[in-house]
Amino acid sequence: MSLNKVILLADCQSFYASVEKAEHPEYRNLPVVVAGDPERRSGIILAACPIAKSFGVTTAERIGDSLAKCPNLVIIKPRMQLYIDISMIITRIYQSYTDLVEPYSIDEQFLDVTGSLHLYGSPEELARMIQTRIQEELGVYTRFGIAENKILAKTACDNYAKKNGSGIYILSKDKLHETLWTLPISKMFMVGSRMTRHFNAMGMETIGQLAETPLEKLKMMMRRKFGKNSDINAELYWRIANGIDDSPVTPGTHQIAPKAVGHMMTLPRDYGKLDEIKVVLLELTELVCQRCRGKGYMGHVVSVGCMGADYDRPTGFSRQMKMDDPTNVTNQVYRAAVELLKRHWDGHPVRKVGVSLSQFSADDEYQLSLFDPNREKTMALERATDAIKQKYGDAIILRAVSITDAGQARHRSEKIGGHYK
Amino acid sequence: MRKKLEGNGLWESSRMMLPEHKAAINEHENALRQRQRVELDEQEWEHVARSVAESLQQRHQITLRLFHPVEELTVIGIVDRVDQMKGRFMVDGEWFSIRDIEGALLD
Repeated sequence: MSLNKVILLADCQSFYASVEKAEHPEYRNLPVVVAGDPERRSGIILAACPIAKSFGVTTAERIGDSLAKCPNLVIIKPRMQLYIDISMIITRIYQSYTDLVEPYSIDEQFLDVTGSLHLYGSPEELARMIQTRIQEELGVYTRFGIAENKILAKTACDNYAKKNGSGIYILSKDKLHETLWTLPISKMFMVGSRMTRHFNAMGMETIGQLAETPLEKLKMMMRRKFGKNSDINAELYWRIANGIDDSPVTPGTHQIAPKAVGHMMTLPRDYGKLDEIKVVLLELTELVCQRCRGKGYMGHVVSVGCMGADYDRPTGFSRQMKMDDPTNVTNQVYRAAVELLKRHWDGHPVRKVGVSLSQFSADDEYQLSLFDPNREKTMALERATDAIKQKYGDAIILRAVSITDAGQARHRSEKIGGHYK
Repeated sequence: MRKKLEGNGLWESSRMMLPEHKAAINEHENALRQRQRVELDEQEWEHVARSVAESLQQRHQITLRLFHPVEELTVIGIVDRVDQMKGRFMVDGEWFSIRDIEGALLD
């Protein structure tokens, strides 16, 4: 291992539930889940503690199903801001061991400890040290996958560290044939149930079989199934199976400017009337534009997506159009979004609506428009409302339609990622 | 699409991040990049003062390290003027604050 890098993927066990258990010591020995609001559709299990899991409770199932398995379940409402804060504290702890820390999700982070490892001993000892510290300081149990690159570290964590007693596992690249390659293909990173079926149909049952398929042959096989644009995915899967990954742990990775800014929401009930959908569309457009204005972007392309309410007969659309000029003015984007909605909505009830803006340019220069003489004025108005919202919260100033029955802006302002702050 | 196979593409295309979390990370990273002012002791100040004076009087090129909140800032050139009253000095027609000096090196 001496010449190679030492990469750790640290994962927090049942993160939201662990944080809540640390905050509520009285629940220590009880089965605890964090679950969305049962009255709205976000009423599913977001995280279950190990005790709850021992009753058969699983993530993403409905609260009712969990209660049937475990009647004395403690159900806690999510507090997303708290989880973000704790995640940041954990990042800081990792950063005290190496400056190369890359958060991959709220509960998973990559650490490159190649340069600082000599201060702490073996990779295993360092992982144990961090694990103990986070357990003591925050009451969260962390698991560590250790390997020479990110994909193997992630694989080591998901398939081994999460299941063994110590929560630490070193996956060595020259032992793949007796470890990773013996696992069924469904255990591979980026392979879900659909891809498992496809690979099985191609005659591949284990990760090893995929790894040993020559890349050119795999490309041919995938081209036959998915068309000629599947070469890149073929290479991606092949590299993952072989544990090939040269991507560096990149601390500044989240500074990269986004290609698109979008908001999407699942509605609390199905919306069947155009007027109702338009209200949510306006609210989402407002949020999207607000974020773009905050970052100093104007978007040229607006896209609108709707998902039908009927699970059995999926309907809906996702279409985009180019506006005349790049803009981040809510009303202009909204006008285009409504046009898309009117043109493509088939009239069936809708349960999910999304708006996004892309093809950005900077907003410090813009084309003067002959057709919109009030642009300066609208922009000044929006700057003012943005500043008020920034200071007092998104719900402090609303459009009048938002207080109608269809409006969701007030609910949404209480949430992060669709769950309570 | 090709991007998935390059650089950090595999991880950038597969991650799930809340915008609020991303904002918190970026804020923290920017805060880490903030630099602290270096306090010079008397001897070091004396060295700086002597170097600046020599550059001013002998027209020698000098390299001055200055404080900047996020960047490493060095000024290279000949000191043209020193304005004690306003606490500033001029290199190549541009004024800098004397208070910002963190080190000096004469060529």
